[in-house]
Amino acid sequence: MASDFTGRRDFLRRAAAGFGYTAFASLASMEALSANGAKNPLLPREPHFEAKAKRVIFLFMQGAPTQHETFDYNPELLKHAGQHSETKLAIGTQGGKILAPVFKFLPSGESGLPISEVFPHLRQHADEMCLLNGMHTDSPAHPQASIFTHTGSITFVRPSMGAWVVYGLGTENQDLPGFVTMNPPPVGGALMYGSAFLPASYQGTRLSIGDGQDPLENIHNARMGMDEQRRHLDYVQDLNRGQLARPGAGDQVEGVIQSYELAFRMQSAIPGVMDISSEPEGVRARYGLDDKETSEFGTQCLLARRMAERGVRFIELGHRGWDHHNNLRKRLTQTAYATDKPIAALITDLKQRGMLDETLIVWGGEFGRSTYEQNDKSDGRRHNNRGYTMWMAGGGVKGGMRYGRSDANGVAVDDRMHLHDLHATMLHLLGLHHTRLTYRYAGRDFRLTDVHGRVVKELLA
Amino acid sequence: MTPSSATVAALLAGLLLSVTGTPAAADNGLDFFESKIRPVLVANCYACHSAEAKTRMGGLSLDTRDGIQEGGQRGHAVVPEDVESSLILSVLRYDGDLKMPPGGRLPDEVVSDFERWIRMGAPDPRETEVKESKSTIDLERGRGYWAFQTPRRPDLPRVADIQWPRGTIDQLVLASLEQRGLRPAQDASKADLLRRVTFDLTGLPPTAEELQAFVDDRSEHAYAKVVDRLLESDRFGERWGRHWLDVVRYADTVGRTRNLPFPVAWKYRDYVIESFNKDKPFDRFIREQMAGDLLPYDSASERVENQIATGFLAIGAHDLNEPDAKQFDMDVADEMINVSTRSFLALSVGCARCHDHKFDPIPTTDYYALAGIFRSSDLRSGLRRRPRFNAGYFRTHKLIQLDGVPEFTSANAGEVRAERERLWKALQAAEKAGDRAECRKLARALGKLPLPENLAMGVVEAPKPAATRVNVGGDPHALGVPVDRGFVQVLYPEQAELPQIGNRESGRLQLADWLTRRDNPLTARVMANRVWRHMLGTGIVATVDNFGAMGRQPVNQGLLDYLAVQFTDQEWSVKSLVREVALSRTYRLASSPVEANLEIDPDNDYFWRANVRRLEAESVRDSVLLVSGELRTGAPPPSPVHGFDRNQLINTGNRQVSSWEIDETYRSVYVPVIRNQASRLFEAFDFPEPSETHGDRDVTTSPTQALFLMNSAFVSANADVAAERLLAAVNGDAQRVRQAFRQALSREPSLQEVDAALGAIRDAARELASSSADRSGRVAARAWVDALASAALERTFNEDEIASAMDYIERHQPEAGSSVESAARAFLDSDGVFRRGRVLGMLQSALGWDLTRPEKAAALKKVREWWARAIKTRATGEWTTLASAGSPEQEAWSLLYHALYNSAEFRYRF
Repeated sequence: MASDFTGRRDFLRRAAAGFGYTAFASLASMEALSANGAKNPLLPREPHFEAKAKRVIFLFMQGAPTQHETFDYNPELLKHAGQHSETKLAIGTQGGKILAPVFKFLPSGESGLPISEVFPHLRQHADEMCLLNGMHTDSPAHPQASIFTHTGSITFVRPSMGAWVVYGLGTENQDLPGFVTMNPPPVGGALMYGSAFLPASYQGTRLSIGDGQDPLENIHNARMGMDEQRRHLDYVQDLNRGQLARPGAGDQVEGVIQSYELAFRMQSAIPGVMDISSEPEGVRARYGLDDKETSEFGTQCLLARRMAERGVRFIELGHRGWDHHNNLRKRLTQTAYATDKPIAALITDLKQRGMLDETLIVWGGEFGRSTYEQNDKSDGRRHNNRGYTMWMAGGGVKGGMRYGRSDANGVAVDDRMHLHDLHATMLHLLGLHHTRLTYRYAGRDFRLTDVHGRVVKELLA
Repeated sequence: MTPSSATVAALLAGLLLSVTGTPAAADNGLDFFESKIRPVLVANCYACHSAEAKTRMGGLSLDTRDGIQEGGQRGHAVVPEDVESSLILSVLRYDGDLKMPPGGRLPDEVVSDFERWIRMGAPDPRETEVKESKSTIDLERGRGYWAFQTPRRPDLPRVADIQWPRGTIDQLVLASLEQRGLRPAQDASKADLLRRVTFDLTGLPPTAEELQAFVDDRSEHAYAKVVDRLLESDRFGERWGRHWLDVVRYADTVGRTRNLPFPVAWKYRDYVIESFNKDKPFDRFIREQMAGDLLPYDSASERVENQIATGFLAIGAHDLNEPDAKQFDMDVADEMINVSTRSFLALSVGCARCHDHKFDPIPTTDYYALAGIFRSSDLRSGLRRRPRFNAGYFRTHKLIQLDGVPEFTSANAGEVRAERERLWKALQAAEKAGDRAECRKLARALGKLPLPENLAMGVVEAPKPAATRVNVGGDPHALGVPVDRGFVQVLYPEQAELPQIGNRESGRLQLADWLTRRDNPLTARVMANRVWRHMLGTGIVATVDNFGAMGRQPVNQGLLDYLAVQFTDQEWSVKSLVREVALSRTYRLASSPVEANLEIDPDNDYFWRANVRRLEAESVRDSVLLVSGELRTGAPPPSPVHGFDRNQLINTGNRQVSSWEIDETYRSVYVPVIRNQASRLFEAFDFPEPSETHGDRDVTTSPTQALFLMNSAFVSANADVAAERLLAAVNGDAQRVRQAFRQALSREPSLQEVDAALGAIRDAARELASSSADRSGRVAARAWVDALASAALERTFNEDEIASAMDYIERHQPEAGSSVESAARAFLDSDGVFRRGRVLGMLQSALGWDLTRPEKAAALKKVREWWARAIKTRATGEWTTLASAGSPEQEAWSLLYHALYNSAEFRYRF
């Protein structure tokens, strides 16, 4: 795909075809942005083909969550518990004694999908979930694998998937950034929401939730109230309009004028999105905002829903603490508890609003854990990139299904799905061919899946 | 694969079914292979993908069953029965990025034969082993490519308009324009030209005085005098050095997964700036960076300079968490190959690590010839890979020692050395003992020891130089043949005697010699093109870092070759080349379009007018500081990174880094470059990702830029200072408006603009006066609160917190007397405030409400220090004066500067 952007006329045609209230709500501002023909790289663009999913909410569980106590019911573990597994799953691991799951799996939903008892709320959405039990990835080290999960590359600095998606589709709400990432874990750093060689407009806007900081720097003017600032900005824009007539510079000046108007709107829109005090008490409770353990991730999930409603294209939430080398029972109880209710509430809300179909939810960490125990001193599992689990829901994915399987050694064996395949499938669900979503840099066309990736059609609803 | 599905597939394919279920045994399957598949493979694929071929391209052999199923770099070419996973199909269909065979798509029926064959289970009788094989790249043919031929001075072309050109550059440009029916735009106005050349040569706008002087100078050489003045200025090296730092991926931290400081990288940075300032011949500059440690020298200072120069090879982004030592070593060499070939040759030789270059005639063996040179050189970055417990990355021994520089100028050298050795031994013991806590403690202590002054980053010769073996498919554990050290073969002039690399040297010296030979077809062209790009906005070869087949072709090769030859003829003087371009008429064209040209060349590919250019991030910040009068010249001694804990990972939100560009007023080139964590200001204005070569920068227009310029304290504080200085220096409101426009926009305002500005100032002043009773106090209190949060909590307050703090101060002001300071003090001392609401929990834990009295005093001191620093940008010194300083009049003038900083024009040069 070339970097030429769908023009205003295409947008109007699309808007007329109707893709929701939010589009019309910000129609005026978009028109203003494109009226001068200046390239606004964030304008919505047609996908390569019709697709259900319009946006992504990626729930990134950093630390490599255990699949054996969460979403991968593997009876082999019970059968072989206590036996020695010789399989090297990561550098430095030598195999070990197979550890039976420390939590029970329960059949859930009408589909009877086996989901661990540690997710009592999430289990209720089993019929929406598609468990990917045959995932595998390239690195068993947290930083590399975290970056790989986001960019598809360990070796090079490459655009993150959020950047690729906004590059491919633009975004629906011109008053907000197209790619937002909340509390990105420090391991992996900014590469996880960077745009690398893609234009900077596609990079993720980072929001810090729950630490008391301004979610976005410089979003408030400390000196001027809005009215005062508007008058000041009017003077600036008068100055700018005086420059529009300067031969050969009109496009650039117009671009600046529009960026100021968007920034001004963002000053109002961002606090509006972030202000969850208007949410009814029941909703707040459903997300667990009334509970110290769940309130931080609950806030993220609630904000994700509010951003989804407002047309943000790619929303990522970060949660840390899944690296359970020991005390698995106790620590998993905590991390699962912190996220179970909030994620369930998010799915409930999206369903209620009829938005789940058009919102692709993806849950997962950077790799998984071994079937054998860390040591015999405490319950815990080692790293494993050769078999792990992620899941998807909504956005045109089949619910109530499992895809893939790993064996007693923790190695994905049937219906294996490499991370590149996940990327290819995510793009497909958004209506993008992963082989056609390319960007020319340093003399060749790059893509999220590099030269890999298979769209796993079996998962498509 | 299951027999039944193979059978079904065969049935579906309309073939006779195989009762055995073993596809290879099915007669018809083999017949099918022999009649439909093998001939196609032989005719179209074996040339590049067989044992007979010179190289297995892409690591792929198609001449054996194992080979075709195992596949190459990209995966399995053929997966029996699995049409989706068999890469060969998408390649043959031409629907992916890789299209084969390269000569053109094979007929549909052939492609469907392959599909059918795969569905059958890909029966294949060819059972030979996969053999290692040779390259198919035809170097002779490759040398025919324009960029691989030595540039020659072009004949001067005829032009119709003989009056127009001022020199050879213009003649070459005009000829190319006339050929296409284009005509040059008019000449730029004096004001535009001065702003343009001042930014392009120094990265700063002209001062109001410089503008006046230039406009007043009616002499013939007025412009040439300006160019020479700018070339002589030390600001030139800061600007052009920064361009080079983009190319060499300069940074002050290692980046990647374990982001540790490079505490002495800045020595290389300053070396680069100085080299441009003294117009070091560029061939010399290359030789120093590639092999400075091996060059002869005449003086001690020259020796030190040469040593520091090799930092070029050492400042790469290395993955210190790479578990595989061999992989790490090859990655380090790879990084050096990439930066060397992209910087000097604009070739991406790195592509040949895993396979012959797909587009350029660079075989894998060339890559490993270079790898041998860099593997025979030892990296001295100061950091070691994967220390136990992530403790103790930094090691002084892993830096180079500068000859003749004392370890410490202060007297304690011996003590520090002894302490370092003691800690280091203890660390090694603790590592052995597996004592995690002890390791971390010792690493922290080591990381804080005073840093010897005689250290720099760089490379040295390895003890045992040797050839490197090909890593088959880029896998450092799959070793192929050893490759003699050497250079990029396609660039060898055919008759040339190649420099010989001895057994006891790395070959960097020979590589440096070869790079800087006059007949090297790329080196001079690439740099001349970079110079053109920085002056005109786009390169003659638009892809400045890629002159290969996938790069863009030169729009005017004669011009490029002229500049390249001129460059080498003038002793590789960058300043001479810049001067010649700056004095050309082409450079001095207006940016306004010629209507008739827009049809033919809308993007100005052929340089018929000047390009309007947005200022780089550095210039935006530096301009704000220059206009306010706050910009400090020279380099901070030394970089703040010098003072970091050297064993501490750089995490997001690291305060000592993140606010430096706001707190300090040195030029932006001296702001530490932290990989994975660009400053928000720089990031917003497209500062390049500093892990790879970027000869070109993005230009975006984003709301984040607007938010920074509109709302940051940095911009408004500088506007305040600018206003204060203006009111003191200039009398008369209209004069003041004119002066502000000259400073910020390098031009005179129109009469309407003066009127509009005066109107806006009057309105603002009136409004401010009506609310000014407590306004300045409010501003001061607000600043105090900010300072408190920043210093005590190492973060900023959010709006809620500020509101409650301000609220508190307002309510307590009467009790504490009228002074805002005492109210703010009361705020700090008040238990009540800290215990209220959600702000308070945070403050409580951050400030540690159990502080003892002395600790509290220390916290207060810290706040005051921070405050003193923050206030410096307002040029007042004491926060109390702030309360009285901001008169309505001054604030109104501050708003004018603020508006000018925010105007579109401010961020462009026309």
